[in-house]
Amino acid sequence: MNAWKIAWFEYRRRIRSKWFIIGTFGMPILILLISLGTGYMAGTGAGIETKNFGLIDETGFYGRQLSLALDQRFADKETPPFNLAVSNGSFESLQTQFDVLVTDKTLDGYFVIPADFFSNPLLRNYSRSSSSMRSTDIIESELKELLIKEKARSLKLSDEVLDEIFFDVDVSHFDLGSSEERETEELIAEYIAPFVFMFLLFLGIFTGGQLLLRAVLEERSSRVIEVLLSTVSYNELMAGKILGLGMLGLTQSTIYLIGTFFAGNYYDLSLLTPTIGLLYFTYFILGYLLYAGIYIGVGALFDSEQEAQQAIQIITFIAIIPMVLWTMVIENPNSTLVNVLSYIPLVTPFFMMIKIAVGETTIFQILTTIIIMIISVFGSIRLAAKVFRTGILLYGKRITLPEIYRWMKA
Amino acid sequence: MIEIRGISKTYGSIAAVSHLDMTIQPGRIYGFLGPNGAGKTTAIRMLMNIIIPDEGEIIFEGSNQRPPSNKIGYLPEERGLYQKISVLETLQYFAHLRSVPHANDKIKANLERFDLGSRVQSKVSELSKGNQQKLQFINTILHDPQYIVLDEPFSGLDPVNQLLLKEILEEMKQAGKTIVFSSHQMDQVEKLCDDVALINQGQLVTSGELSKIMQSEGVQRLQVKTVKESDLTHECFSAFTSERKNGSVFIDIDGHSKQEIIATLNKSIDLKSVRVAELGLEEIFIHLVQGAKS
Repeated sequence: MNAWKIAWFEYRRRIRSKWFIIGTFGMPILILLISLGTGYMAGTGAGIETKNFGLIDETGFYGRQLSLALDQRFADKETPPFNLAVSNGSFESLQTQFDVLVTDKTLDGYFVIPADFFSNPLLRNYSRSSSSMRSTDIIESELKELLIKEKARSLKLSDEVLDEIFFDVDVSHFDLGSSEERETEELIAEYIAPFVFMFLLFLGIFTGGQLLLRAVLEERSSRVIEVLLSTVSYNELMAGKILGLGMLGLTQSTIYLIGTFFAGNYYDLSLLTPTIGLLYFTYFILGYLLYAGIYIGVGALFDSEQEAQQAIQIITFIAIIPMVLWTMVIENPNSTLVNVLSYIPLVTPFFMMIKIAVGETTIFQILTTIIIMIISVFGSIRLAAKVFRTGILLYGKRITLPEIYRWMKA
Repeated sequence: MIEIRGISKTYGSIAAVSHLDMTIQPGRIYGFLGPNGAGKTTAIRMLMNIIIPDEGEIIFEGSNQRPPSNKIGYLPEERGLYQKISVLETLQYFAHLRSVPHANDKIKANLERFDLGSRVQSKVSELSKGNQQKLQFINTILHDPQYIVLDEPFSGLDPVNQLLLKEILEEMKQAGKTIVFSSHQMDQVEKLCDDVALINQGQLVTSGELSKIMQSEGVQRLQVKTVKESDLTHECFSAFTSERKNGSVFIDIDGHSKQEIIATLNKSIDLKSVRVAELGLEEIFIHLVQGAKS
């Protein structure tokens, strides 16, 4: 009963906090703005600094052709990624002049198309730094196309034949049994949906976990813990905190899931099925409880938030692995690596969420991972309770790992 | 009645409390004394079930089960309150945890009594240190507990609020409550307590009724004044255990008769006055602690 009272107190005072409201609604808005902003920048070239390159063309042909191809390529960009100043002549006669232009930073670098480029296609690049790699790739691809066309012409192939040879393949996407072609936006939304579910799970679990850590540290550093412990038992206090802040994480996740549901409807996608919703909440609860044990244990060991955050960094680093590997997991949900990682409790909820959202898992795998998670949660909470009970009232003492091990064994 | 039977607590190689026995009678004020680091806070935390003793047991009213939280009020030495919530929310939360009936009425009455009525909606962090102490004390007694355990309750309070606290403790005693408090302020202990226990280095030095301890432990002394001030340092005093203080020499009547001491001194110096002086609690405390150390 006391655990519920503590849970309600923790939940009520934090859900009304302006930082929780700002965090909950601000985070998706921020992510949306970043996505739109990067999309806009990629599309228009905004925010990109135009580089300046020189080109010494010993053939007197490819430089001009390349310049025209690049003009066409960058036609829709407000800011092209680079400008190319073409000079016809030999490398020997122009080298000194170009080196000076690079040294005084008029140019970021220069390229040389040698006289025998047609038979020996080797483009040389001279630059101050490696920041011209992307530009080099673009020039390389354009020159390759020009060279192929020239070689085709040398074989007396007409422009019509060349058009027949150089074509793009378009792909149309359909649902099984449907004749209606799917929109590209729909496909992108469906591709990133598993990541979105995993990200929401991550956000919910770690919001709750971080708040739990802060709550324990607040009570420990303000010494209110002793008053609480004279009123309720250790187990009630710990359970109340885990419950209250878990409800907070759950509230946040539910808000995000509702948002995802409406976003799915907008794209005419049923991203959030009842099964996915149920499994999402199952893995959320298990993942949160597992991390809650770790966070509450760490919170009981340190006097300052800075020290506690440093200690928790290792755990957070492990939890970030699925965030780094998400494209690999979406494309290879049944690879051996992904399957093995799915059984490691600290990352199980995140990997399983992607696999479930992609539709590439089995009931056996869901059940076994849930059983492993339940056992891990039991162990995590049990050990945390031992550390919490012993460590929470030890102030100003640097606790060693052997001591923690002794408490856990007790 | 609270019976503390042979409780001990060790941290690593340090024995914070060692085989401590105490009996706290109902309806009395029990003073818990000891120098810094004596083990008072550890003993109180064990009494509150915050720390589990390595050995021994604590019996409340014949049972070794801790009474429900609404029967005990505890004011820890390290004061602690949530800083970012209001005075009202703080008291409501703890009242809710202890299932206090008519909590809001009691909160209002107590805040008025402690002159905090106008600060109901203030955040705790906005209160002065003294007012935070008062708030914490209200939190300790709000649920009208049968047992009140106070660790250094007078520290940090101004004389006016010390007087108010003393009045409230006396009222509670009249109402039949059992009060245990630790303090360094011997004048408060002397005025308030019926019984005391003194611990040093985790061990009980003495315990019992305060008046009896004052009688038995209070070594009688002779307060001697001399005609010539320079005689206060005369070598004739070295035959006894003595202390020079405030223009007098205090001689422990310890294995000597009063007449024997006076006769010895009269042979060497002119005495202006001689009277028997009783030791105060503070002097008994120092005497016992030093005795325990030696």
